Order: sequence, then structure tokens, then C-alpha cells
Amino acid sequence: MSPPESKGIARFRKDREQYRNVYELFQNSDDPELRHAGLLGKLISEARDRVVRAHEEGEPFIAGHYLTAPEIAVAMDLPWFSLYEGVLLGASGETLHQDLDATAAMGLGQDLCAVHRWSIYYVENDLVPIPTAAIGLVYPCDGIAMLHQLIRSHESWRDVPFFTPDPPYFEDDRAVAYFARELRKMAAFLEEVTGRRLDLNRLKAVVEEGEKQYRLWAEYNELRRAVPCPHGFAQGGLYCPGVAQVMRPGHSDGTEWFKELVENAERRVANGVGAVPQERIRLFWFDIMPIGWIYEFMPWLEQEWGAVMVMDMFGNHAYTPIDSSSEEGIWRGLARRGLFESPMVRGAIGTAQARIDDLVRIVKDYQIDAVVWPSHVGHKETLGLQGILRKTCRELGVPFLDLRMDIFDNRYSTPDELKEQFSEFFQAMGLG
Amino acid sequence: MSRGADESEALDRFVEAARSIVSPAIREWKDRGGKVVGYFCSMVPEELFMAAGLLPFRMRATGSTGSETGDAWLTSLNCSFPRHCLSLGLEGAFDFLDGVVCVNSCDHIRRLYDVWQRSVPTSFIEFLTFPRQSGPDQVAWYTGELSLLKGKLERHFGVEITTDAVREAIQLANQTRSLQRSLYQLRKRERPPISGAELLSVMVAGTAMPKQRYNELLRTLLEELEARDGAGGYRARLLITGGILDDPVWVRTIEGMGGLVVADVTCFGTRLMWEDVDEDVDDPLAALARYYVADRPSCPRLFGSQERRSQFAIEIFREFGCDGIVGEKMVFCDQWNVEHYLLGGDLKEAGIPFLSLERSYVTEGTGQLKTRVQAFIETMGK
Repeated sequence: MSPPESKGIARFRKDREQYRNVYELFQNSDDPELRHAGLLGKLISEARDRVVRAHEEGEPFIAGHYLTAPEIAVAMDLPWFSLYEGVLLGASGETLHQDLDATAAMGLGQDLCAVHRWSIYYVENDLVPIPTAAIGLVYPCDGIAMLHQLIRSHESWRDVPFFTPDPPYFEDDRAVAYFARELRKMAAFLEEVTGRRLDLNRLKAVVEEGEKQYRLWAEYNELRRAVPCPHGFAQGGLYCPGVAQVMRPGHSDGTEWFKELVENAERRVANGVGAVPQERIRLFWFDIMPIGWIYEFMPWLEQEWGAVMVMDMFGNHAYTPIDSSSEEGIWRGLARRGLFESPMVRGAIGTAQARIDDLVRIVKDYQIDAVVWPSHVGHKETLGLQGILRKTCRELGVPFLDLRMDIFDNRYSTPDELKEQFSEFFQAMGLG
Repeated sequence: MSRGADESEALDRFVEAARSIVSPAIREWKDRGGKVVGYFCSMVPEELFMAAGLLPFRMRATGSTGSETGDAWLTSLNCSFPRHCLSLGLEGAFDFLDGVVCVNSCDHIRRLYDVWQRSVPTSFIEFLTFPRQSGPDQVAWYTGELSLLKGKLERHFGVEITTDAVREAIQLANQTRSLQRSLYQLRKRERPPISGAELLSVMVAGTAMPKQRYNELLRTLLEELEARDGAGGYRARLLITGGILDDPVWVRTIEGMGGLVVADVTCFGTRLMWEDVDEDVDDPLAALARYYVADRPSCPRLFGSQERRSQFAIEIFREFGCDGIVGEKMVFCDQWNVEHYLLGGDLKEAGIPFLSLERSYVTEGTGQLKTRVQAFIETMGK
């Protein structure tokens, strides 16, 4: 007998249908980019379906994170969802402002990152399915740690077994070994509370399939160095970790998605086709793009200024291959990736050096004309780096545009205000 | 409301140390050739510096009048505490320090470290990784961190930090804690002989003076206060909970509205001294790690201990006969923002009145604070 329906499961069912419709709408399109975007809908819909079916069949499923080795859940055949995923998927939804206002009414400061406020709102209103077990996340920022503290303390979640890997700060062997042990403990915890076993051969296979995705992702990023850049803001970027680390880690469906992405970019590079007819400015967007209102703003940059987002924080991945020849190599590789290399966590968890290194490399490798520093109001540690990165840009001789925005809420800085700022900046710098 | 503890030379010394950065005690220490190490946040064990013969100084930006210099590096959306500290650092106010130790206590402080390292000339600057949880593995991790820091202190300052020296430093710091707890006991009286603002000065001074001297003065103050009757005429007894509160002016403003502050759960209060470090162990570094990670009253930085924190606040509230709790949080602090949200729920369940206040590091424009405290006391029917 399936457990009683909850609002969270009902929401997941709705998502499942909605994203299946997106897939069906685009799958026969003549536009290869649209067809490829439609595939994302399929992957999302299927990820939702796995959770819904587990719920219906009384099988275990978990809440987890892309930073805490999702390969482990995949290898254990445990359907999982990210506590962030629903929020990010809903970022362009019709209830965006309504939901954000509701979080304000809860008394949470509006400077708390909207992702966290929103997740809290979803949990408080039972809009997240209650899983068999949950993996807490306490890095890379204070907000996420507090979000998980709140979830853990919440009435509806008090009986959910929680395991939270503890993160070191500096990237060195001691830290990687410590976090690898934390991941082993996490796997043992999942075995205990779900009754599923972790077969190390299966984990090795999942990791190796994942490596194919990461190699393709790295290849794709090389292709984005081309002038003109084959893709703009609408391809790659956030979707790469979305597929490799959330929707289909270590699965051939994800690998296929990356293959198509690379093939498409290769064709465009070979034919000298860029994201826009005439690329005039190459931008490095050094944070998350404004995903709550991305289509209100980013197309304008391309159309009005020929300004192409060549690389962004989520598309950037410092990829180190995992040595799957030994068990220790696998655990350490997963630890290093989750703690120090994945988008968002890289640069956010440790000192400023990782961000400086990325900035220098990307500006040079991608022939960047200007660095956009969005200063998302919720990213406190990121905000604290503006002086250091401004100085680095000055030394590199590349213009640095320091903005203020809420990447979810277009009322904090409106798209029109930002358009004006960009135009003034481009004119002042003699760009475009 | 009278102070109750006026006419005390010991108290004057504490107030003097708390209202400036370089107090006479620090100047005297430096004049004698002593070295001083500044540290951010109460999770850095001062005992380690004491064992090295260094004077630990808890970083604060007392007397800062503006954060413009620091804002050029950080932003106006960062916490005002590190912005003011950085400004003072850039202006040379911390030139008396021979070293600075930071910790990943929050997003703002860890970025302060990045900027400080690059912009404020400091001959010794180190960083501790504090765990996010408080289990045995985390205690072992922090023991390792302390061992690494010990080695760095020894090499840089040319000293040997022996096990016995660490043990002695722990004993001395525990004496301080014990004396401070005795002082807190006096606040349980119906007419406490010391106000909340004065007490905060005493606590702040404890992080900016040689411990031997501090303990002597505190013994003297305790003797004086034991015999005194304190102020009456207050409308409500309050507990303050929050993070870095080192400004007696802020507390005095609350007390000026009739809310006598008789207890606290803050980083310059009970969180520093409610428990002792275990002295009966073979490895004093492990004892320090266990104390700072697991044993002392925790702050929101530690995941998984929120229920324990709420419970502790409620216990202290009852033990000190409080009428209400005032929560203070710095603007842009994610940790205390959510903590107040959770604590507010727990206190509501316990039937305890709670007022959550946002503040900036430097107390300015107290009008709104007064109005809110007055309204809070009114709602309690006091």
C-alpha cells in the first residue's frame, strides 16, 4: 500500500508532467538547440518520476545534494532529489514573486539568499516530499548550513534520519582524506537506514560513466574558448552540473546529453557560427546567472550589445579525473570533487585563491573583454571578495563590472536598471 | 536606576580596557617586550597563546567611527563587524599586534581573513578550520588543527609550547571562568550589584588583559560586590542572546528603558565560561579541542546543536529569574537570522517573551532600539 499523498509528492507529480510536456514540445523541433534543451525536460521529468514511483511503491528515496557524491545514491539504486532542485526549477515559475513575498512574511531577513528562504518556505509548507533519509549540507556558505539546521529541526522532518558530512576548509591531502572518511560514513548510514547495499563494483561503474560526462564537459568548455563562442547563456552553464551532478550522474542518458552538446558546439565552431550573428563583447559572468528572470535580461545583452556570456561560475569546472583503479582512489576523488571542485563550492568554501586562479585563467583562456560580478545579495562570502577580484582584474587589465542584484527577484534591481548600468559601463569602457 | 558598582577601582580598570583597543594593560605588556596575538571569534583557544607566553587579544573594533576604508574591500552588504575591524586594521589601529589568527566562523570573517592577508601588514597570520559539527571525529580534527597552529606559533615566535605550559594555561583560564561564573551568580539577586552594561565591560576586559592581572582585579571586584546591594527599580529582568556583542552602550540603552540585563547567552558572556576545560587529561590539546567543539555552550555555527542551544537559553532564563529574552543579531548575518527564527519558535512554545533585534556593530541612533525595548517591556505587562 502506498503511503498517503502529500503536497510535496503532488508537486513532484506536477513537475513530472510539466517537464514531460516541455520534452514533447521540443523533441521534433527543427532547431537542434531547442531539441537539446527539450532533453533536459525529459531528464528532469524522469528524475521526478523515480521519486514519485518510489513513494508509490513504498520504496526508499532520499534527499541529497550534488556536492555530497550523488554517485553513491545512484550506485545504491536510491532515487534522490536535491533540496535545492525544486527551488531552482521553480525559479521561473508563475508563483515566483508570491513565494518570495511569503518568505518575507515569515520574518526571515530578505538578505538571506532567496534559495534558502524559498527552501525554508517549501519545507514549512510541506511542499517537499518527506524522504526515507536525508543528507545535510553545511557548506559552502552559512546560509545553506542554517537551511539544513532548520530542516533538521522542523516538526515534519524530525523523524527523518539525517547524516551530514563535515567539511574541512583548505584543499590539501589531510582535508581530502577526512572528507573521504565522511563520505564512507555517509554510505554506511544510507545502507543502515534504507536497507540498500553499496556494491563497490557498481560504484566504480557509476563513477566511470560519470567520468565520461566530466570529460565531455571539459571538452565542451574548451570549445567555448572559440571566437566567436559557439553558445551563449542558454546552453551549457548551469545545465552541465544539472545533468552530471543532479539529474543523471553516472548514467548513460547524461553522457548522451553531453555528447549532443559537444557535437552541436563542434559543428558551430567548425562553421564559425557564434551565439549571436556578430559577437562584440565576451563576458565572464562570475556567479550564478539571474535565473529567476534570465529571459528578461540575458537575451538583451546578446541582441543589443552582441555581448556573449562565454563562461559563468556554474559552467566552469575544475575537473580532476577520478582514479577508479582503487577503492581509495574513488572515495578520495569523490571527496575532492564534492568539496573543492564542483561549481559553486569551488571558490566559495575556501580562501580567495581559488577564485583568483579561476579569474586569471578564464580571462586569458577565453579572451574575456569584461568580468561581470553580479553581487547577488544573498552571497555573503562572494560579496566579501569584490575588492580582491577588482584588484586582480585591474592587474589583468580587464574591466570589472560590480553590480547589485537578487538573481531570483527582479524587484531588487530591475532588469531595466541593470540594462542602463551595462550600457553605461560598455560605453565608458569603449566596448561593443 | 543606579549602577550599584560605582566607586570601584577594579571596575574602572575593566571599563577602561573595554572601551579602548590598546588599554593601559596592553601598553604595559608591550612596554615590557611582550607580544600580542589577535584572534577572531570565541572558538579560537586563547590558552594556546597563553602557553606560548603571548597575550591573546580578542579582536574588536571598539571606537571605530566609520567603515569606509574597509568597505573598499568588503561591501556594504557584509557584516559591519569585519568591515569596522578591517577599517581599523588598514588605518593602523592594530599595529601593536604581533600576529592574527582567524577561523572560518562565518562567511564574513573568512573573507576578512582573505583581505587582511593581502592588505594589512601582519607578520604572523594563520587560519583555523573549525568543524561544523561536534562529534568525536570533529574533536579529533580540531585537535589536529591546534597541533598545527602550535607548531607554527613555536616556529614563528621562537618558543616551545610544552604540555605543562598548555596545562597551566588551561588552569589559569579556568580560574578566570570560575571567577566570572561567581560574578554571574550575583546577578541572580533581586537587586543585582552590577548592571548588564558594567558586566559586559568586565567580560570584554577579560579578552584584553593578562589573565593573572585580570583575575586579581576580578577577585577584588567580587569582594566589593558581595557586600553591596544593587539597583532596584527596574521594570523587567532580561536575558540577551546573540553573537558578538562587545558594546556596553547598546546594553546600557536597553537598561535605560527599565530592562535590567541579568543574564546572557553571547560570545562575550556565558559562551566563554559556563563550562571549564577538562584539566585531568593526558593530552591538553585534545581537551581544548573537546571544550571548544563539543562542551561549551554552542553558537549557530555548529550544525545539529540548535535544540541544545534553545534548551540552554531556557535554562539560563529560568535560573536567573528573567522575564523576557532579547535576541540581538548583526545585519546580514545568516547564522543568527535563521537561529532567531528557530529560537523564536522554541521560546513561543515555552511561553517566554522574545524580542529579536537587528543591529550594526557600532551603536548609532538608539531611538528605534529604545522604542522597541519599551514596547517589549509593555507587552510583558511590566
